[in-house]
Amino acid sequence: MDKDQEKKGDQNQGDQANNSALVQKIQQLGQSNVPQAPDSNIHVLSIIGQVEGHVQLPAQNKTTKYEHMLPQLIAIEQNPKIEGLIVLLNTVGGDVEAGLALSEMIASISKPTVSVVLGGGHSIGVPIAVSADYSYIVPTATMTIHPIRLNGLVIGVPQTFEYMDKMQDRVIDFVIRQSNIEEEKFKELMFAKGNLTRDIGTNVVGDDAVEYGLIDGIGGVTQAMQKLNEMIDENKGPEEQVIQ
Amino acid sequence: MILYTPLAETDIFPVSEAELNKRHCVSHNGRQLYVEEMEDGQFQLLQVLSTDPNDFMNPDYTPGTIL
Repeated sequence: MDKDQEKKGDQNQGDQANNSALVQKIQQLGQSNVPQAPDSNIHVLSIIGQVEGHVQLPAQNKTTKYEHMLPQLIAIEQNPKIEGLIVLLNTVGGDVEAGLALSEMIASISKPTVSVVLGGGHSIGVPIAVSADYSYIVPTATMTIHPIRLNGLVIGVPQTFEYMDKMQDRVIDFVIRQSNIEEEKFKELMFAKGNLTRDIGTNVVGDDAVEYGLIDGIGGVTQAMQKLNEMIDENKGPEEQVIQ
Repeated sequence: MILYTPLAETDIFPVSEAELNKRHCVSHNGRQLYVEEMEDGQFQLLQVLSTDPNDFMNPDYTPGTIL
């Protein structure tokens, strides 16, 4: 009798543990189980919120910290099981040098990369979007192209202007190098007046971004996955033929 | 209270550094996790820092999990 009761007690405890895990899961996700997927040969890098660079932003900001991203990009390059990378962008911009660092990393990865601009890919989001081998933008997404700015202590000397001008050129050069947009057109968009309410620049919507040659195509998840799979096949094509 | 100002919200209400210091980037079972230290000393998961889509399907690492 006693043993039976003990057993029951044990079972009850086990049930309670299970229940609390279940309750926790429902509280977190609103559902009891999460679907499982097979191992993926495609990895996803999401760049969301502000691109955080040298200065740590207050806790309520949603940020993508570039120091977290860089090792992941190296891991993607190193891991032979990973065959492609999708970059998802919904960013308001952020630190120029952090953004350029991320862009150059994505651009120099040997594996096929595809980017998708969702919602917004503003300011430094532009070089990140064009850094991939092929870029997509959803029709509703926008990209704000505007001159860079500096905050914090600024010393009022001509050298400051030269420094900013050089930084501006680094961004422009990268975008020109990585996309099909003409330098003249990009600069025209960047320095346009009257488009943004309180600023110089242009807010480019999905279709226009493709028309200007900044982004390669209109599309979302399906198009991006198709393109990436195509590029992966091309990438490993010749080797397999040799074996035959 | 209604504020009408060109200043950023954080310029008016500075965020305490203590809040930021509670957040850490830790490695847990080989995964990089961004966690927040709770008042009772436990860690709550804020974000999984991974590029593997499967890591986001792992029920043990859903946002809000207490490690």
